[in-house]
Amino acid sequence: MRRTAVKNDERITLATFLQPAAYLTPFMLGILIFTVYPFINVVLISFREDYKVLSREFSGYGLGNYARVFADPTFINALKNTAIFVAAVVPAATVISLLIAVLLNSKIKLQGLFQTAFFMPMVTSVTAVGLVWRWLFNFDYGLINYLLSLFDVGAINWLNDPRYAIYSLIIYGTWSMLPFTIIILLAGLQNINPQFDVAAKADGASPLDIFFRITVPLLAPTIGLVIIVNMISASKVFMELFPLFGGKPGPAYSLYTVIYYMYEQFYVKWRLGPAAASAMILFLIVLVFTLIQLLLQRKWKNY
Amino acid sequence: MKASVENLTKRFGPVEAIKNLTATFKSGELIALLGPSGCGKSTMLNMLSGIIPVTEGKVYFDDKDVTELPPQKRNVGLVFQNYALYPHMSVLDNICFPLAVKRVPRKEMLAKAEEMAKLVHVADLMKRKPSELSGGQQQRVAIARALIKSPSFLLLDEPLSNLDAKLRVEMREEIRRIQRESGVTTIFVTHDQEEASSIADSIMLLKDGVVQQYDSVRALYDEPANLFVAEFLGAPAINQLKGSFGPAGFLAEGASAPIAIGADLAFSGNAVLAIRPESLLVNRGAEKFRATVVDRYLAGKDALVVVDYAGQRLRAFIDSELQVKAGDEVGLALRERGVFLFDQASGERLL
Repeated sequence: MRRTAVKNDERITLATFLQPAAYLTPFMLGILIFTVYPFINVVLISFREDYKVLSREFSGYGLGNYARVFADPTFINALKNTAIFVAAVVPAATVISLLIAVLLNSKIKLQGLFQTAFFMPMVTSVTAVGLVWRWLFNFDYGLINYLLSLFDVGAINWLNDPRYAIYSLIIYGTWSMLPFTIIILLAGLQNINPQFDVAAKADGASPLDIFFRITVPLLAPTIGLVIIVNMISASKVFMELFPLFGGKPGPAYSLYTVIYYMYEQFYVKWRLGPAAASAMILFLIVLVFTLIQLLLQRKWKNY
Repeated sequence: MKASVENLTKRFGPVEAIKNLTATFKSGELIALLGPSGCGKSTMLNMLSGIIPVTEGKVYFDDKDVTELPPQKRNVGLVFQNYALYPHMSVLDNICFPLAVKRVPRKEMLAKAEEMAKLVHVADLMKRKPSELSGGQQQRVAIARALIKSPSFLLLDEPLSNLDAKLRVEMREEIRRIQRESGVTTIFVTHDQEEASSIADSIMLLKDGVVQQYDSVRALYDEPANLFVAEFLGAPAINQLKGSFGPAGFLAEGASAPIAIGADLAFSGNAVLAIRPESLLVNRGAEKFRATVVDRYLAGKDALVVVDYAGQRLRAFIDSELQVKAGDEVGLALRERGVFLFDQASGERLL
């Protein structure tokens, strides 16, 4: 008889090790080649002084790339823009998604239609949707400026005025984050025993009390998860810039983000050292946030 | 406070769960809604609490029509089968919840919570989370949470069915004690006749959405309105002999001689003679018929014999000293109490 699993009381022998190892190999190879090796490479490159791409020569290891990146006002600006984007988009997307998820979870007419409608952006291409938003934001013909004109608000140059470009990016970023967030929150809501809702009603709680005292605390682990994942993905804001600003980092190069900076250093300027250093800086920032969130989540999930 | 329902009907699609039911639940009583699954007892409870809307009819608390009021406005305390304690709150916060949402001042709320915790004996568990409590403790906390707002009614849905046998007996006595001490009119749903009989003041026995009998426990047991009631209450179950009734008495199927009962009863036709196991006397009293012992066994402190009478089985309690064994022929007598005759077709009580 073949053994397929290692039981607790069995000693791990070569035979019991080999079979699961064989199953894991294809996956592990993929991870090693496409994730672990490049990651180690980035770490190394970020510390190499005067690294030359083609000849792979460098003069030694040091912090020169980091010093150069931090001295570059464009990078500081990119950090600032990314921070603003994350700080605005993540809370906004979470709150809006929570409201929509709660509505979708309640018994409303045409529930299926609404669910589909809210999940549509998930399956449409970022670029196609981005181009639609480019039209919505259009100064002369855009729907947004038209709606604003109904309230006697003057037309805003959403995409070409450096003062407003970040708001356009935030609005578009929030919108594109909604479907994923709603799906996860809705799944979390559906895991909450409906009995608590009935019990709370019998206890005399109003809908607002039920939402804040029962639903939100019970959903806290899911909300925490959504915030972590969205913070990580918002820190990597990059793709969104292309359709909105025609491939440039905002009007007059005002809206650099960290990833765009990295991309430009790497693909446009062929400066691998600073590119790797900026990637490492973003990685460390995201790592710190993730660790904080994980600690908080352990505290939340205390039942 | 008393509650009453008038011509209450509940339909789920084509299914009538409760059919034109009118009844009054007396103030201060402990009332059991009893019946087999699907009889409408939980539906009845949920209409009293307002969790499910009524299809037709009225619900009154004292003289106030509450038919259209949502649960929030009925001031009822609810205890669920699985307790539904809020898992993220401590025992204290769970008990306080109904007052917290009423924005009762903290000091007053804590004092009241302490009082409730003492009543249900969970005062030393206040800091724990529900997941750290046993089933019985969760039950107590759920009752405290239901009682803290001084509800007009305490409604319990199958409160004991999630507990193990020993704890169940303990908790049903606790429910009885808590009800006595708090004096709140309490209505609980159960499918267990023993549970209902042992603690309730009165029992409403339901079948297919219709009240079969609603009376004191004693009355249901001693004077069942129909065969279903007689069958449902009592363990071991009441003995049933099928046969026909005529001027000579009751002739069981397969028997050669009639059993002389009900001398002045005008009925004739197919009938069921139902005899409580304690009302069937073995080798004692005036012999009515003879039967053969099939088996005997102990049921706790009592001894039971199973006898065969014309191919039908009957159970009787006997004195455990009595020397009878399988194969013996014994004489059987009937007590005055606990012997009933029912119409076989309608189940209606004749005697």
